[in-house]
Amino acid sequence: MSRPAHPHAMAPHKPGRTRTAPPQMPSTWWSAPRIRNYLLFDATGIVYYLISFLAIGMIQALGRGPEAWNAVMARMQHPAYIAFHVLCFVSVVFVAIRFFSLFPKAQPKAIGPLKPPPGNVIHAALYVVWFAITAGMTALLAGWIF
Amino acid sequence: MAEKTIVITRFDPDKDQAPRKQEFKVPCEPDWKVLDAVNFIKDELDGSVSHRWSCRMAVCGSCGMMVNGEPKLTCKTSINDYGDRIDIEPLANFPVVRDLVVELDGFMHKFESVKPWIVRAKEKAADQAALHPSKGTYSQSAEELATFKQFSMCINCMLCYAACPVVANEPEFLGPAAIALGHRYNMDSRDEGNAERNAIFRGEGTVFSCSYANECSEVCPKNVDPAAAVNQAKFEAVIDWAKNLVLPRGGA
Repeated sequence: MSRPAHPHAMAPHKPGRTRTAPPQMPSTWWSAPRIRNYLLFDATGIVYYLISFLAIGMIQALGRGPEAWNAVMARMQHPAYIAFHVLCFVSVVFVAIRFFSLFPKAQPKAIGPLKPPPGNVIHAALYVVWFAITAGMTALLAGWIF
Repeated sequence: MAEKTIVITRFDPDKDQAPRKQEFKVPCEPDWKVLDAVNFIKDELDGSVSHRWSCRMAVCGSCGMMVNGEPKLTCKTSINDYGDRIDIEPLANFPVVRDLVVELDGFMHKFESVKPWIVRAKEKAADQAALHPSKGTYSQSAEELATFKQFSMCINCMLCYAACPVVANEPEFLGPAAIALGHRYNMDSRDEGNAERNAIFRGEGTVFSCSYANECSEVCPKNVDPAAAVNQAKFEAVIDWAKNLVLPRGGA
């Protein structure tokens, strides 16, 4: 065991007479592959937090006119920004895959008379919707439509 | 027969300030489970080693321990799944009473708090319409049973509590098994206690504390899938809250 858990984790409802050793977290609390995936899943929040500032900055530049916008666009060519966007893309894909894998079993067994479709159908539908929205957004932003 | 080094975490509340490790050389038979090795140590090498076990067939849920850092039901875990050195510790996230024995009181209290029994609005005598005509029991179809049967297979082994990162850091969290059991009764067609349990589930340290790490389901030896129950319970608690908001008297 490498890290203490909260000292009151799973403490008895009423204090017992026996002295107990404090609870410990598993020694693999951060390094086991499943836990590492879970921690990475949570850590992607930092990436989204950072890119939100970038997005706000871009909107502000848009409001300041073409010169400011072009300056931002030029700055985006820097390898650090490109690397950051690759990181954002990988984060989104990772979160989507993990979320989609866990989503079907979290659905209620029924809502009134309505029952959800089988888990693999929900799973497939999530991917279809994801790819459809991605394709639609790509077409819109690339100027292929409108 | 292969000799393995079994490292057991020892703690005697009368002597030790903190848990310590002790190594044992154990001649293991190929068909042994991890529990057989611990029993061998207790029977042949050191009778003071304390651990819980009973049925030896993954039914009683007593022999949960950390095996090489992962919560395992030791009577169901083959010794051959591990190398020459096996680290056996008491279940994580629980106070340790002695050696491999953990404190159960907190778990039992959390269990009880979700009302894990069938709640009927009326006394049985006044509830004749719901009773099976000849058997005098509440009837239930196979389809109704199938909606919650999976969640009723829990053997209270507490592996899910040892695996859950929220249990480790949030003492008031009800935890996977207790929520799964409460959800199991909410799904039971004979039960009428949904409103009471959903009120509990909407409180502090309950279903919404779960961050869906899914570790509870990964380690569950009976495939109960407590993570599914907890997250279904979230949905039910929200629907119940919304219904109460729109129809404060249940639509009556």
